[in-house]
Amino acid sequence: MTQFDYPELDEKLYREVLPNGLTVAVVPRRGFARSIAYFVTNFGSIHTDFRLEGEEYRAPAGVAHYLEHKLFDLPGGRDVTAEFAALGATVNAFTSYDMTAYYFTCTQEFDQCLRLLLEFVSTPYFTSESVERERGIIDQEIGMNLDAPDSVIFDSLMAAMYENHPIRIPILGTRDSIREITPETLELCHRAFYTPGNMLLCVIGDVDPEAVKQAALEVLGAEKRPMGAKQNHWPEEMTPVLPQTACAMEVAMPTFSLAFKCEPVGMGSQAIRQEMVADLAAEVLFGESSALYLSLYEQGLIDSSFGGGFETLEGCAMLCASGDSDDPYAVRDAILRQAEQLVETGIGQEEFLRLKRSALGRRIRGLDSLDGTCFRVCAYHFSEFDYFRFPEIYRDIQKEEILCFLSRVVRRERCAISVIKPLEEEES
Amino acid sequence: MIETHFLLPGVVLHCCRDARFKQGCLSVQLVRPMAGSEAAMNALIPTVLLRGTTRHADLRSITMALDDLYGAAVSPLVRRVGDYQTTGLYCSFMDQRFALPGDRVQEPMIGFLRELLLESPLENGGFRREFVESEKRNLISSIECELNDKQVYAMGRLLKTMCREDSFGLPRLGEKEQAAAIDPVELYRHYQKILLESQIVLFYVGSAEPGEVADLLRPVFDLPGRKPQPLAPQTGLRESPGGEITETMEVTQGKLCLGFTTPITNQTTEFAAMQLLTTLFGGGMTSKLFMNLREKQSLCYSIGSNYYSSKGIITVSAGIDCDKKELVRDEILRQLELCRRGEFTEQELNAAREYLVSGLRAVHDSPSSIESYYATAALSASKLTPAEYIDALCAVTARQAAQAAETLKLHTVYFLTEQERNIPHDPV
Repeated sequence: MTQFDYPELDEKLYREVLPNGLTVAVVPRRGFARSIAYFVTNFGSIHTDFRLEGEEYRAPAGVAHYLEHKLFDLPGGRDVTAEFAALGATVNAFTSYDMTAYYFTCTQEFDQCLRLLLEFVSTPYFTSESVERERGIIDQEIGMNLDAPDSVIFDSLMAAMYENHPIRIPILGTRDSIREITPETLELCHRAFYTPGNMLLCVIGDVDPEAVKQAALEVLGAEKRPMGAKQNHWPEEMTPVLPQTACAMEVAMPTFSLAFKCEPVGMGSQAIRQEMVADLAAEVLFGESSALYLSLYEQGLIDSSFGGGFETLEGCAMLCASGDSDDPYAVRDAILRQAEQLVETGIGQEEFLRLKRSALGRRIRGLDSLDGTCFRVCAYHFSEFDYFRFPEIYRDIQKEEILCFLSRVVRRERCAISVIKPLEEEES
Repeated sequence: MIETHFLLPGVVLHCCRDARFKQGCLSVQLVRPMAGSEAAMNALIPTVLLRGTTRHADLRSITMALDDLYGAAVSPLVRRVGDYQTTGLYCSFMDQRFALPGDRVQEPMIGFLRELLLESPLENGGFRREFVESEKRNLISSIECELNDKQVYAMGRLLKTMCREDSFGLPRLGEKEQAAAIDPVELYRHYQKILLESQIVLFYVGSAEPGEVADLLRPVFDLPGRKPQPLAPQTGLRESPGGEITETMEVTQGKLCLGFTTPITNQTTEFAAMQLLTTLFGGGMTSKLFMNLREKQSLCYSIGSNYYSSKGIITVSAGIDCDKKELVRDEILRQLELCRRGEFTEQELNAAREYLVSGLRAVHDSPSSIESYYATAALSASKLTPAEYIDALCAVTARQAAQAAETLKLHTVYFLTEQERNIPHDPV
């Protein structure tokens, strides 16, 4: 495997693309007890429309998440979770808008765990009964999200923001859409997107990189297979569908989430640079060391739940902020005014350098988290960027880029806000 | 691995020198008896300290100082360990080796910590009213925010009912009414009192030599007039009668919580057996409750159990359909009965053991987990190191686990359900 060195970060990474198309990345961490392995497909909830072997398909919303649940079944009544547990490991998975990840952490028997991970994710086994039974569980999960203010507020914000982009539909799908999912749908999506060429295996721990590669070749085979071509062009105006949306739930105080629509950032180091520029812009505008944060905090319009940043995904990007507030609309208006003012007055050089140093230091500290680092290495890989190169990007960013971002994006016509108000008191 | 320095009477520093990490951490805990009269004040103090110092007058200036320290973070640290409540601060900071030549991180970090602890700006003999009032609002809203997470809320209600006569029933952050009544002068006086009277536990993880850290910290706590008071030893649960409680709220999913008591606490020799038993019963994804109620019978979306070892309380909590309360409760009790009769496999027992052991092996994998394990252990009745704890778990037999299950007595059943059904409130 090819070794890459990052002396600035005291990190190494081994990487290779295998003959079957799978990318393997290994970050060695000597002297740590835990190892973590992520086996990830670049297939998430937004990838419902695709073409495979000349045919066009449109899968029901929620299929990626449904598939994630069902991959834990293996023929012969084998129980994946119990097999990992017997090895002293824990296994889990998650589905996001643009990827599905299966991962385990262990403190021993790494090789066996790795082979089990590769095996179960690459083995589709769906019976009608088990797919039917899963519907009840996912239906419950959807019900739980409908009770959770955080997820309701975000899903309604996305529906207000986007007209065509599938981010407007919850990752889990809806109670109606999951009814349409059959074993055949799951098999089709597995064939289209769980082919090694669409996947990444990322390992962090005190492990031998060559052994990881060997296990991947032995379990998955060397053959290259066809891959689904995703429909990933969703035309969007830069104005949201609705500027505001609100509902009432059992919450203690009003809670909000707002976002400004941005142009998609694309791929590679240019894209990552835009993302880091946008993150720094968020810090300048409403981060904890900003003038706005202090003034809103002192006025009691925000509390420590307030925060935000840049979110990017294939075909969409946005600057978000959320928190609890008695007057969410006043917070939005203050953000708009502050952006205008910053663009007018500019950012001091000292302030700018301080923010870069802080952002860099926080990212370096974040490398201590195996889970967080593994996740970032994977997510940035699918954006065609090597995550450990972040220090050079930071060094290069100029403050003019930040002002340019603020003046282009933080505008009323690009903003949507979603609010949850407390239910009216109905004391009996 | 852990080096202990007695810095001053009543001030102890535990150090874990470890150069593998990219960040270090330092925590300060003032140890108090958990008491209704001061719980809310203790919870409020660190948040007020973080609002400003005489040199860094507001939040913005505080954050800027942290940005200069490569994005270091200081957060409030309020813990409950058995009968104690601790209040203090937790700092995490980038390791020195990543700083630019000539920049220091650790010494200025400790200097800044000193400033936060000892140089609060005063007003009429108390903390600044503005800081106190706004942090009171934040504290009250975090207490109220429990409402937003129904599972946490339900569990809090269960514990409150079970521990009516014990300090363990007091919420960790105090009650809303107590928080609302706090006055800036009274709060400052209380802080001065606990600074002078409390046992102080410091914890450092990082690459520096412990002796150096001790030398930097000793002068910070060498306060004129300090007379540390001894702490009363940890005690078991002061029992009160149990019962059945049902409450209604606007929810689509019911939350069922069962509370059991046992004479086995972290002060008794059967402690490891009980820990193993509760993990087998309801901890993690291989437990009897998860495998049977969720996986096999689809009776609930989430289910798990907890062992509060300082008090000998075991809780089970489940997210269920509102009409399945009896069914779920009976099945939980049936699974417990199976444990009592020793009807679990060697494989189930070993999975539970491995789950606990691998967690313990990983304690030394991050500064925060090292801090949290040892700083908590230093205050609890059980002072096992992770290695000793692993040995104790490995020695537990199936018979001993079943015997531990036999000691469980159902004490209280709490059910949170949807509003429409008109279920009368049972008095307790």
